[in-house]
Amino acid sequence: MKDTFGDKVFYACNYGLLFLLSLTCLFPLLHIVSLSLSDSHSVMSGFVTIWPQGWSIESYRQLFVNTRILPAFGNSVLITVVGSAISMIATILTAYPLSRNYFIGRRFFTLAAVFTMMFSGGMIPHYLLMKQLDLINTYWSLWLPAAISVYNLLVLRTFFVNIPEEIEEAARMDGCGEWRMLLRIMLPLSLPALATLTLFYAVGYWNSFMSVLIYINETYKFNLTVLVQQMIRKQSVLTEMVYAQPDDVAEITGEGIKAAGIMVMIIPMLIVYPLLQRYFVKGVMLGSVKG
Amino acid sequence: MAAHRAEAVTARGASAHGRARLLRRNIPLYVMFLPGIVFLLLFKYIPMGGLVIAFKEYNMYDGILGSPWVGMDNFNMLFNQMQTVTIIKNTLMLSVLSLVIGFPVPIALAIMLNEVRKAWFKKSVQTLLYLPHFFSWVIVSGIVLEIFSLESGVINHWITRLTGEPFPFLYEPGSWVAIFIGSGIWKEMGFSAIIYLAALTTIDPHQYESASLDGATKWQQIRYITIPGIMPTIVLLLILSVGKVMDVGFDPVFMLQNEVVSNVSNVISTYIYTFGLQRAQFSLTTAMGLFENLVGLILVLTANQIARKFNQELW
Repeated sequence: MKDTFGDKVFYACNYGLLFLLSLTCLFPLLHIVSLSLSDSHSVMSGFVTIWPQGWSIESYRQLFVNTRILPAFGNSVLITVVGSAISMIATILTAYPLSRNYFIGRRFFTLAAVFTMMFSGGMIPHYLLMKQLDLINTYWSLWLPAAISVYNLLVLRTFFVNIPEEIEEAARMDGCGEWRMLLRIMLPLSLPALATLTLFYAVGYWNSFMSVLIYINETYKFNLTVLVQQMIRKQSVLTEMVYAQPDDVAEITGEGIKAAGIMVMIIPMLIVYPLLQRYFVKGVMLGSVKG
Repeated sequence: MAAHRAEAVTARGASAHGRARLLRRNIPLYVMFLPGIVFLLLFKYIPMGGLVIAFKEYNMYDGILGSPWVGMDNFNMLFNQMQTVTIIKNTLMLSVLSLVIGFPVPIALAIMLNEVRKAWFKKSVQTLLYLPHFFSWVIVSGIVLEIFSLESGVINHWITRLTGEPFPFLYEPGSWVAIFIGSGIWKEMGFSAIIYLAALTTIDPHQYESASLDGATKWQQIRYITIPGIMPTIVLLLILSVGKVMDVGFDPVFMLQNEVVSNVSNVISTYIYTFGLQRAQFSLTTAMGLFENLVGLILVLTANQIARKFNQELW
């Protein structure tokens, strides 16, 4: 069937608009890359757009030598790896009983979990609890309160529920107990869901900011997000001062270092992005199954 | 096998035996569930109990239980101080604006993507638009502050060339709000479109064929087939968003705000952080948190009730 003139106009506008929208996502990234790879003079003069001017890796050198970015990177990795492991174990162990229809109290516990999605104690009571438990300044204050995301819990529970009963019954006939059922039957059958949830948790821990800001006071324990954010903030205070006294501009290379700091956060994300895109899209679909 | 089956039948026959069996089957389940119970109690329900300090004058020495009761004093203070009233207003303003402006964007985007016929183009656009979702707000705010910065920002560089004067995007309340809302939309529009794209695949393509045979234009097809087709999803997501109206994320405000625009940028979460944690006004800020949570809860429940009328309820 041939397109009418109106249809052709529609498609042209549609493609054009989507192209422009994609550029709004691409250009800021190219801009940051360019800033991080340009020399300080070009950066300050504002000439850098989406291609580096006066190529220089000085910003990165300064970033790695003069800031705590490497230890912070290590902290971020530690927080992410251990946190995701704790969260996955806790989520699996909680989701499995909730998926069994003979689990006594299943409805009550499900409601109790769902209620916490709608109502919570909030920042101060959580902080006071962490203080009481003496977890301030330890990463346990990041891992334990975030151990189970109720949303992820419900997704996994639904996934377990939807595994065909015939498989379970066959295993049951062979005298399979609950632990073996979970470890040998359910988990191998839910690998895609498990991969998705692990990534959900990992991205959450990698990007965690507010909890680190609240619970961690010792600067050497900061993760990347908090460290880079503080760098950005300090620099903008610095540049505000410079704005008042334009003579000092030549001294400051802050914008380039800031951009380099942002790049250190962006690059790991780009590396795992193909994986993320594949599983997160699936995850959204999993979540849309009404539990 | 046969023996097992026979055993199962006799078990079902004797109900007392059956109950004992059920209990025995539940023991390993409860062992598994133990961490979950401890987690829910310790990290979800005990902090809810901690909310009592909203009705107390909390001090470190007496602790949560020992501190003296003050009734509704903290709430009276919240609703009578200019500062806190402004903060509540700001919270509502920012979130309602984000909702009204931001909610239709992913819907439009999904419909647009759905009309793309070239697979490679669709895939490239999706890849670019989904990406910002995975960035932490530190990255997004860093990019925003960099681009709109007064003295070295690339946009102001061009504005200065054209008009001779840089424009203080981040220091004018109006443009700050626009940047705040815009960056939120920029970050999430692509990813939020996924769920609508999934809903769009359930629409029967024959409907489009017969519509275009009847001479319906693209616009008419979108209006009378596409949008009604994804209406249930739209309503569902609208309910979810309305329930979150009180909850303006801490990260974007905290990272994008500055002293100059604090009149519009101070929201409940940043207030609780600054006054509660940094200035130790625990009771007052807990009262604020409780207020926020209660309004949020009422909104979710109300939205769900309304949705029930359209048979779209969540529970």
